[in-house]
Amino acid sequence: MDFTFTEEQEKLRKEVHDFFANELPSDYPSATSGRRSPTQGQTDFWMELQRRAGVKGYLAPGWSKESGGLGLSDMEQGVVMEETGYWGVLWPNSLGLRVCGPPLHVFGTEEQKRRFLPPIARGEVIWYEAFTEPDAGSDEANVSLKVTKDGDDYVLNGQKHFMTAPGPADFLYTLARTEDSIPKHRGISLFLIPAHAPGISYRPLPTMGNFTVEIFFDDVRVPKDALLGELNRGFYHAMVTFEFERTNTGGAASAKRNLEELVQFCKKERRNGKPLIEDPKIRDLLADRAIDQQRNWLGGWFDSWHFSQREKLGSPPPSTPAMQSRRYSDARAKALTDSLGLYGQLRRTSKYAKFDGQPERTWRTSRSTHPAGTFEVQKIVLAGRGLGLPRVPAKFNKQIADALEERR
Amino acid sequence: MDFSFSEEQEMLRTTARDFLEKECTESFVREVEDDEKGYSPELWRQIADLGWLGLIYPEEYGGADMNVMDLAVLYEEFGRAMFPGPHLSTVVLCGNTILNAGSSEQKADLLPKIVSGDSILAMALTEPESSWDGKPWDAEGVTVTATADGDDYIIDGTKLFVHDAHIADYLLCVCRTKQGGNPEDGITLFLVDARDPAISYTLLDTTAHDKQSEVVLNKVRVPKKNIVGELNGGWAPLARSMQMGAIMLCAAMLGAGQKLVEITVDYARTRVQFDMPIGINQYIQEHCCYQYADVDGIRWATYYAAWKLTRGMPCDIEVAIAKAWASDAHERACWFAHQVFAGIGYTVLDGVVPLYSRRGKTMQLYLGDTPYHKEKIVQQLEKFPAPEKPKGKPLGLWADDPELIIPDWYEAFAKGG
Repeated sequence: MDFTFTEEQEKLRKEVHDFFANELPSDYPSATSGRRSPTQGQTDFWMELQRRAGVKGYLAPGWSKESGGLGLSDMEQGVVMEETGYWGVLWPNSLGLRVCGPPLHVFGTEEQKRRFLPPIARGEVIWYEAFTEPDAGSDEANVSLKVTKDGDDYVLNGQKHFMTAPGPADFLYTLARTEDSIPKHRGISLFLIPAHAPGISYRPLPTMGNFTVEIFFDDVRVPKDALLGELNRGFYHAMVTFEFERTNTGGAASAKRNLEELVQFCKKERRNGKPLIEDPKIRDLLADRAIDQQRNWLGGWFDSWHFSQREKLGSPPPSTPAMQSRRYSDARAKALTDSLGLYGQLRRTSKYAKFDGQPERTWRTSRSTHPAGTFEVQKIVLAGRGLGLPRVPAKFNKQIADALEERR
Repeated sequence: MDFSFSEEQEMLRTTARDFLEKECTESFVREVEDDEKGYSPELWRQIADLGWLGLIYPEEYGGADMNVMDLAVLYEEFGRAMFPGPHLSTVVLCGNTILNAGSSEQKADLLPKIVSGDSILAMALTEPESSWDGKPWDAEGVTVTATADGDDYIIDGTKLFVHDAHIADYLLCVCRTKQGGNPEDGITLFLVDARDPAISYTLLDTTAHDKQSEVVLNKVRVPKKNIVGELNGGWAPLARSMQMGAIMLCAAMLGAGQKLVEITVDYARTRVQFDMPIGINQYIQEHCCYQYADVDGIRWATYYAAWKLTRGMPCDIEVAIAKAWASDAHERACWFAHQVFAGIGYTVLDGVVPLYSRRGKTMQLYLGDTPYHKEKIVQQLEKFPAPEKPKGKPLGLWADDPELIIPDWYEAFAKGG
């Protein structure tokens, strides 16, 4: 066991650190990091910075050189992610980098890899993850975006929604139904689709936090090489993606920066003639944040390390840092807004806002517990797959539904 | 970064688990609880033979020269088996302090006796008032005085919650030898013959049925040569040993917690009510998930602190984080077990859950409970420097951020970019 980084890793960390220190504008309020409803001006800025980071290889350092990366290991990738998170930077194409790129490496044809990966690594594009549908939320296998084969082409009809939209998309990483199979997850495939292919239209779907969109597919025709991996194996391919998604060292780093800023705020701000930090409730809140942050930091690195050793160690044990964060995020967010009294409700646009309105924003976005599966689904998965607790076999679901219907 | 356990650590874990499963069974733990000594001299001898009393000491004293992380592996197994005995007092809190601060004579005399199992030591630090005032583990709370008298010191006062005092050969007595100034600069450690007739002991009745005592030192005369470390300089080495001790308690709570998860999940899988295993209910599943996650969160916080201590790095915040989390997480892990086991988890005669639950209480409180360590965390946070500000040209992009509901780039995008 050893919790040090190699000299090369520290050197890389310093480089990335300096890159952000020099490139980010001095008026960038990192306390608002993670805001995902950027203006045109902000989006332009992030795209430009994303390109510059891409040139340096800081977007996908773990990818091979032919894919546009630096050919480094998963651990170096973790170091870069950590520094990126520390500065409160969430790339416009973070989904392309973390969700679409890795399976493209594993399941893509040489031609697909050549075509799609370098622009992602160079920071030139934005991908949306088009998975969720009105009737396929937690039940991802229920996707019904219909695909029919027509000659050499595929034709798509249906709807997606809740696509996080940090800027205008170039491509859609799309989960769709290619066969009415039983069980349902055996008839699903993955497609790589240009965002403005004829027949695609959008509708805005703003949320309490991120800006998201709905996507409508009306006879959208794509060539057969838009298919990623094997036909009808898309659900399994997507499952592999989740293991990649787990290697996240950026979240804890972002929380670290946030805590550092919060400590300064609580030292500076006074109430009833005393610094806020002398308030016992504030002290408790800060301690909780420090504990959460460190647990997430260690958990993030454990996941990255485990992932880097996957050939030797196989699948990782059930991840718990994310579960812990989810479990407490609401309470932590509420504690901070509560401690500010009436000021806790002010958005950052108000001149009276405290701490750049971040407490309000954190509370508001903590209402979102659904990305990557609702917290409830995560618990069902941990209980079943992780701990081996029993569940009603899926084959009885229909019978149960019918029995309930009958009783009604 | 490397999160793997070494081969030696894995071997130690296997040996310890096999041995303790055989020798330190649930019924044995119950017997020892009812026994006035609170430990088994036979088992103590056996673990001395296994080398567990000298694990972290240098070879010259008969030790195995292993480190804090290795010891934590052993403590995981101690926690899992609820091993009762004065190991923490003797080996970690007292022995390690003697190793780091004692004279060569003290080390040569005492350490081999600790390693062989011949001597038991107890740390006499906490006092009635300091324990009530919330600073039992701070130098500030030490009021028992030692006053110079010729070649001796006279110790006078009462220590409370002293673990294993009633069976100790020596007390490592933490005394105030200087008033005023920084409270940490007036603390001296004395090795006191525990059988001195001027000392009286009264066992306390506690939740865990472990053996803690009130120790009344009535003008106990101790020779100067029994000072461990420097006069007025005893706090620093003791504090280091207490950090190690806190880490060991975290490891023990991790081990106990893992066992609790195993038995709780197993019970949920096998206990049938309403014609189904109760574990099919998502209320029960949620208890198990939280319990697993709580316990899992102890592991790396503990080993990270242990690693820092092994390397001699400052680790105040890491130890405080580990102990603050572990104490709370362990308490919750017990609570979830109680919920899932219901009545069976409440019966004291043959239920194992109450045993873990009660015996866990002492680990949660000892060497600092959650509120105590949270305060330590914040004291460290206050020393954080202000984070570095970026240096790029200001762009005014965030100053009047309208926080648009629908971003201004959307329309052009929706029209086809």
